[in-house]
Amino acid sequence: MKWVTWALVGVDRMACAWLIKKFIDPKAEFLFVPAGEKSLPKGAEPFDIPGTRLSHRRGHCTFHTLLREYELKDPLLQRIAQIVDEADVVQEVTVEPVAPGLDFVCRGIRTISPDDETAFERGALIYEALYAQLALESPQ
Amino acid sequence: MSSTWLLFLYKVPPRPTARRVYVWRKLKRLGAILLHDALWVLPDTPRTREQFQWLAAEIGELGGDAWLWEGQLTQSAQDETLVQQFLVQVETAYGEILAGLKRKKPDLAALSRRYQQISAEDYFHSKVGEQVRAALLSARGGGD
Repeated sequence: MKWVTWALVGVDRMACAWLIKKFIDPKAEFLFVPAGEKSLPKGAEPFDIPGTRLSHRRGHCTFHTLLREYELKDPLLQRIAQIVDEADVVQEVTVEPVAPGLDFVCRGIRTISPDDETAFERGALIYEALYAQLALESPQ
Repeated sequence: MSSTWLLFLYKVPPRPTARRVYVWRKLKRLGAILLHDALWVLPDTPRTREQFQWLAAEIGELGGDAWLWEGQLTQSAQDETLVQQFLVQVETAYGEILAGLKRKKPDLAALSRRYQQISAEDYFHSKVGEQVRAALLSARGGGD
């Protein structure tokens, strides 16, 4: 399936791309449009684009919305949703020590990547690592 | 060269008041400035642009209406005035941290968290911010 989001991806879009590929659609193919672009390619599912179904909802990041929409109940994914929320969305209450800095690191990954697709591939490593480390350190 | 600013205007239903407070606090957390009780302003960066766009979408969800423009001032001298307003805003907050550090047994963990918050809204890199950073680092004690 094809998925589309805004170019110059950052923390939330990288997290979503990782989630989609790993838990929702292993054959996912990602397309990019410039930020603010209103006409989206036909047949591609938009995500993390303001005003679309799979985007921020009630003050939560798109990663959070994906978990709800695709009924992913894994508690580790819920933790990552909280981390991405704190890293990406302006929040008053913060409880995840991992979150500060994650946004910056992800923007840096985009900066050093030749294109958004490569940034997604590289960003996936961050979330893979986060997931593995949370699994290791979470109380059983 | 004149700077590009993002201008944000919105309306949310008067009730419930919690929604109004929610939006207002988000704008404050972004470090936006409210000009003459009318228009919210932020410097244009990919991040501020995206945050405003999300906030506009969220205001729509709350039954409100939001407008986001980008613009340049016709009198570029006013750029400096606006930059000063942003600096005053963060420097007031930085000043509170410096005052907190002078108290007996300052809560260093809370003050440094506050510093991190403020520095995220310090779009024009206030010199006071550097002082606060240095003061926090030297307050931790235990030598270098």
